[in-house]
Amino acid sequence: MAGIDVGGHGGKRASNHEIPLIPFIDFLLCLVMFLLVTAVWSHMARIEADAKVPGPPREDEQDEPPKDKELHVEMRGENHFQLVWKEGSTVINTIDVPRKPVEVSGDITYPELGKKIESEWKANGAHRAATDKKFDRAVLHTDNSTPFADVIAVLDAIYVPTREFTVGGQTETVPAFHVTFATN
Amino acid sequence: MSGEKPLSRFHQPINVPGRRLLHHIGLGFVRKKVVGGGGRAMNTEIPLIPFIDFLLCIVLFLLASFSATGELPVDKNVKLPNAQNAVDMLEAPIVAVSGTHILVDGIPAGSTRAIVDANRLTRVDELHNVLKAKRDLWTQINPGKPFPGNVILQVDRKVPALVVKSVFQTAAFAGYPAVSFMVGRMAADE
Repeated sequence: MAGIDVGGHGGKRASNHEIPLIPFIDFLLCLVMFLLVTAVWSHMARIEADAKVPGPPREDEQDEPPKDKELHVEMRGENHFQLVWKEGSTVINTIDVPRKPVEVSGDITYPELGKKIESEWKANGAHRAATDKKFDRAVLHTDNSTPFADVIAVLDAIYVPTREFTVGGQTETVPAFHVTFATN
Repeated sequence: MSGEKPLSRFHQPINVPGRRLLHHIGLGFVRKKVVGGGGRAMNTEIPLIPFIDFLLCIVLFLLASFSATGELPVDKNVKLPNAQNAVDMLEAPIVAVSGTHILVDGIPAGSTRAIVDANRLTRVDELHNVLKAKRDLWTQINPGKPFPGNVILQVDRKVPALVVKSVFQTAAFAGYPAVSFMVGRMAADE
């Protein structure tokens, strides 16, 4: 057991005291139990999207932003997805990707679509530098009756390509695209 | 003194050892261990200091990961989809869409019935008003600060895209352009 020797001579009361470790251990164990019982290990996460509708005007926003290339992901086809690079209303390139869903523990994923979008962004993405504050934009076209799980699977594939982004002197890895929904 | 009867062994503090019970049983190795006998000592101190260090490490880890806000409120009727390329949650109003109900932070804020009936993108007025009120409140509490405009949609996996897009657009029009969808985290290697 731990103790402190501080003398205790001269007929006075001894000053050697044992530190009571057992109550201390009991206290620590109680603390551990409490923290374990109240601990929350959340498995929730979020997939970001971006509304293109104008919010309240901001001073730092340009009146008419320059038109960048946009990747339109068309998921209305039964057998294939269509990736369309557009600059304004001008179609630059169209790629068909076969629709091959892979089921992972009850959820659908589209790994082939993710790979294709990644290679397309590497070839055609305009905002790839870490210091570039703008992001490439992807527009998702979906049928009104498509279940939300399918929409998330395609959004997940669009977020496969990542890039470095430096903000406030710190560099982090973020999704390369900002995604929004087509309203038509 | 000499004529007196000697005290029994239970009343006499010191006496000559007599016969010992079960002395014929060969437990020499026990005796040897107990009295020492050159072997390793049986009395060992439990190392309490490393144990306390270990407990302190656990306490510190649990305190660091302690969340005072508790678990994220997920409606029991909402079955969320999972995604691999998801990011961490942030603090924002949560709009839950389950069946025909729309809830904002647990408070009813409209129904999806009007969207389904119209079969086109429809603004949910009640949701719009609730979100706008939240936005106004935030602006009053934090004067001079730019409104972050984050909102999290907690949508059941079976809800049709038309409802999702309508809620998404309603949130955007209410001043929340940074919309996120709550998902479960799927391991990247699955």
